[in-house]
Amino acid sequence: MRNSLLVFPATAIYLLLSLGESTPAHHGFVSWYDMSRSVTVKGTVTSFEWTNPHTYIYLDVKNEKGAVEKWIIELGAPGMLARVGWRRDSLKPGDEITTTGNPAKDGKPTLHLSKIVLANGQELSTAL
Amino acid sequence: MRNRLIFLAGALVAVLALSSALRAQDAARPGSMPDISGVWLVEKFNPILFPNGGAPLQPWAEKKLKATNPQTNDPNLACLPEGVPRFMISVPYPMEIIQGPTRVFIIHEGTSVLRQIHMGRQHPKDLDPTYAGDSVGKWEGDTLIVDTIGFNDKTWLDGGGIPHTEALHVVERIRRTDHDTLVDEFTIDDRMAYTKPITARQVYKLKPDWEIHEYVCEENNKYTYQKK
Repeated sequence: MRNSLLVFPATAIYLLLSLGESTPAHHGFVSWYDMSRSVTVKGTVTSFEWTNPHTYIYLDVKNEKGAVEKWIIELGAPGMLARVGWRRDSLKPGDEITTTGNPAKDGKPTLHLSKIVLANGQELSTAL
Repeated sequence: MRNRLIFLAGALVAVLALSSALRAQDAARPGSMPDISGVWLVEKFNPILFPNGGAPLQPWAEKKLKATNPQTNDPNLACLPEGVPRFMISVPYPMEIIQGPTRVFIIHEGTSVLRQIHMGRQHPKDLDPTYAGDSVGKWEGDTLIVDTIGFNDKTWLDGGGIPHTEALHVVERIRRTDHDTLVDEFTIDDRMAYTKPITARQVYKLKPDWEIHEYVCEENNKYTYQKK
């Protein structure tokens, strides 16, 4: 099911950054994401799933050629995120956001989130 | 799975209802036992016990470990419980310990398993194998000694896939080393799978302002699981 969701090539610009430790998940993000790298992706929220076992942000991202890529941003469980300030209405469709996190090892356009910056400049982290 | 959740929901309601009564009983006997109650979170998330290899495995277990793939056949990908001892060692969600005179309860947020440690009794005979096993406990000074058997063989010992059999035997020494710190020292043996006992240690930090949240893994699980 997961792989079927990730059908778009990852061609967004990667910016290498250092990362804090984010809230890990029950399925072991370590095996899916390259925890040694960090990328930043800007885009428009199309959906926000505040669900267990993981929370998801679906993002439309314009690449260098102007085409829209569908990105999936994966976070931990709502219970853990709520402890660091996240709420079920932290995001809504249409929000312009900047996300930073670990890229998928297989190169698909998905990210394990460590930090988000909202359009108004507010930051939300996933670090405890 | 639905039945398990309904059972857990009922069990948790019962535990929470009992907890105030149990605390009242304990309060009536000050100093009767060390206090390890509260919400605790692992200090450091260590998903894999032997990151550089070297687990003392019998040949069949070594072969099985090499065939595992955390991306495809970790039972937890199907939202199955991590079981004991994995959920005590390598799960990054908080647990609440509730103490009573005859039982210690551990409610783990991320595993949907209610662990019961029976104080002052022996293991029953002919145990049905379970994910959490049958735990019996006793106090030795400030240390809670927990002996657990009666496991099924459906869980991994850690996130790396170390296997075990129903002969798994776990002994824990749980001690509150200061107000904010709890230490659990594990001796993990399985005469059918290991060449010698495996030892592990986990440190937990008190989270005084936290409460245990609902966690229904099946709600939106996008991961797939291939049984091996």
